[in-house]
Amino acid sequence: MINCLLIKISYNSRGVLSRSYRTLTAEEISIGRGAECTIHLPDPRLAMHHAIIRKMDDGHIHLIAVNGEVAVEGSPLQNIELTHGKIVSIGPYQLKVEPAPPDVNLAISLLLAQRLPDDFQDLKSRTHEPLRGASKFKRRLSLWMAAFIALVFLALPIAQNLIPQLQIAMAQLPLGFDRVWSPGHISNSHLHFGSQCFNCHQVLTRKVTDQACINCHRETTPHITDPVLEKSVFKSTHRFSISNRCAECHREHKAPYPLTRQDNATCVKCHSDIKSVDPKTTLPDIKDFDRKHPDFTLTFRNSHTGKGAKKDIERISQSEKSRLIEKSGLKFPHSQHIGQVQGPNGIWDVREISCANCHQSEGKEMRFKPVSYKRDCLLCHTKQLEVGAADARLTVPHGSEQNVINALKAQSPKRLARDMEALKSEGCAYCHEIVETKKEDSLSWNVMPVSINQDWFSKARFNHASHHTQECKTCHQVENSETSADVAMPDRKSCLRCHSGNSPKHKRIASSCMSCHDFHSSIGAHKNFEK
Amino acid sequence: MQHSNIFDYKKYRYFKLAVIVILIAFFAYLLFKPAVGHYGGSWLGYILGTLSAIMVLWMAWYGIRKRRYRSRGNTQGWLSAHIYLGTAMTVIATLHSGFHFGINIHTLTYGLLLVVVISGFFGNYAYMIYPRLMTENMGEDSLDGLLLRIAETDKLARQIALMMPDDINNIVARACRETSIGVGLLEQLRGFQPDCPSAIAVQQLTVLGNDLSLEQRKLYRDLYSIMVRRQSLVKRARQDLMYRARMGFWLYFHVPFTVALLVAMLSHIIAVLFYW
Repeated sequence: MINCLLIKISYNSRGVLSRSYRTLTAEEISIGRGAECTIHLPDPRLAMHHAIIRKMDDGHIHLIAVNGEVAVEGSPLQNIELTHGKIVSIGPYQLKVEPAPPDVNLAISLLLAQRLPDDFQDLKSRTHEPLRGASKFKRRLSLWMAAFIALVFLALPIAQNLIPQLQIAMAQLPLGFDRVWSPGHISNSHLHFGSQCFNCHQVLTRKVTDQACINCHRETTPHITDPVLEKSVFKSTHRFSISNRCAECHREHKAPYPLTRQDNATCVKCHSDIKSVDPKTTLPDIKDFDRKHPDFTLTFRNSHTGKGAKKDIERISQSEKSRLIEKSGLKFPHSQHIGQVQGPNGIWDVREISCANCHQSEGKEMRFKPVSYKRDCLLCHTKQLEVGAADARLTVPHGSEQNVINALKAQSPKRLARDMEALKSEGCAYCHEIVETKKEDSLSWNVMPVSINQDWFSKARFNHASHHTQECKTCHQVENSETSADVAMPDRKSCLRCHSGNSPKHKRIASSCMSCHDFHSSIGAHKNFEK
Repeated sequence: MQHSNIFDYKKYRYFKLAVIVILIAFFAYLLFKPAVGHYGGSWLGYILGTLSAIMVLWMAWYGIRKRRYRSRGNTQGWLSAHIYLGTAMTVIATLHSGFHFGINIHTLTYGLLLVVVISGFFGNYAYMIYPRLMTENMGEDSLDGLLLRIAETDKLARQIALMMPDDINNIVARACRETSIGVGLLEQLRGFQPDCPSAIAVQQLTVLGNDLSLEQRKLYRDLYSIMVRRQSLVKRARQDLMYRARMGFWLYFHVPFTVALLVAMLSHIIAVLFYW
């Protein structure tokens, strides 16, 4: 039997300490939340039957944990001997063994050491504000990102440009700090040094100079044949206005576009007002093939004309129709060599001839093999190489006059003069122009040398292959040509039937300058580009 | 008459303006194509770039402007313009880029712009959707009111649980002690807490209610309904926090990335002018 003095210590609402005394007598004293317990402590943190106080066989009084936890100085124990001065925590309560008065064998005090927190305040402390510390976070993130960007994308590239030592050190590396400024892909040909910006961008805030290009491209052929003109055209001008720097037409950082510009503006920039570039020029202004482009100019080669008569190469505009006379040395009416013609075996031998019978194409670009007598004429025109009466015909070879004379001399020297006369008026003269010679020579006449123009549009590029869907006569009207003096080259108008200028038109393909022309031919120009 | 909102402010004034700006930019883009394709350095590119830069600065100015009470125009109009013209500005900046992207400051600037704009779109969405949901969720209550009611149910539940077996008491005590609302950013944004003690308590109570004495059973029923009510209160409080967090969260991106964008844009312009 335990006779226990229980001292309950509590604080009233004003915080004043009060003690209440009670004596308990029981076999064992149970402590817990349950109403049936000897010491009833209504606190949810206690178990229904938390612990018991029991007198052991040896006479000592022990506190024994049942369903709850009891602890001394924080360490939970199952069984605690209650000796004087011992402090045990039972859940939120603190049990202290007080000095026992003589009539009891145990005196304990109970104090609610940890009060139940205020529910609302407690819950509030566990409820966080939405996005706590948001402005701090935002400020920090802003600062860090701004600092990072300013350092990597601004400070370091500028530092590399302004501090020569850093520049030199960085040059050893595959990339410079300023690589992050590159606006686009560098063309393949410049890629091996292009990752170091300063190779081209030599002076900050200035556009890439021609000198930067010339450092490598020393041997570049000049772009305009006249050195003085080239210098005046390609001089670097103002930063903001359109200049003629190399980089103006050779655009870097634009891969996969080609490095060299192919657009009309490249040409039209100067050619739309060509006098502003070269006041002395006779060239017309050109803007657009459709709207502003002169008539074509044909190249004539006057190799057969007499000495000093005219210059070898003459360019005549198609608008000057009266001057468009080809002096090929041949008498060749196209009209009689097209469609159904009479063959070599009499009037019943009718054959069909087309352009391709004589003009045979070769190569990918469909250039044409030169017309040759043996291949193209011989089949029908053997008779013209025969002289003499029907019973004594002599055949002469096709070739130089001397060979003909030799052949005639060998076969029938007596008839030489007569036969030569026949050839002059009928045989050779059937196809060839004959010129009289003034020299006291073995022969008083010569066949005019044949000179068939192979390249009428020497300043333009024309590809027959890309026009193979068209018939020849679409562009070359030769059905009614009675003489070989006729020039059957198409004019600008006939091109414009299918082609338009810089922009496409209805059923007409857009044709830029570069469709037909190459950039200034530099053949034979001086190497003055560096000067 | 219903008040106009930021979207139909002054009969869609800024929407129309944005559409016009976008159309003009598009037509210019289609009509004037440089020989080497569109890029930021063509004259059209410079115009579009300058325009976007000015618009970015103006958009950023809104952040300062809206914190001032004394300035011209009303804030609603400014916000309407901020949203519509910001969208138009994104289109213009895209055209300015000519769709050339790489690993460089220029694309970084564009990327930051996109982050700012997309987060802005989300903010827009949040302000369109969440205020109504918040009202639906909370009704007349405030968050503090909810917490007070939860605290009251706590007290009640604990009192009843005192008379229940230990396991039930522990569950209830734990639920009251450990339930937290919106602790941590992720929880706030998700609007629920995995392993929420309140939910677990309700779940476990259903299992534990079987072997009780007759008087306890009545108390148990009371306790159970209190705990269920408590759980729904907790859920509503969390939802409220979620809406408020989501309405503010997009600014985590919108504001710092705007600052980053301004620095990047400055670097972009300096880079272009330095390596002309």
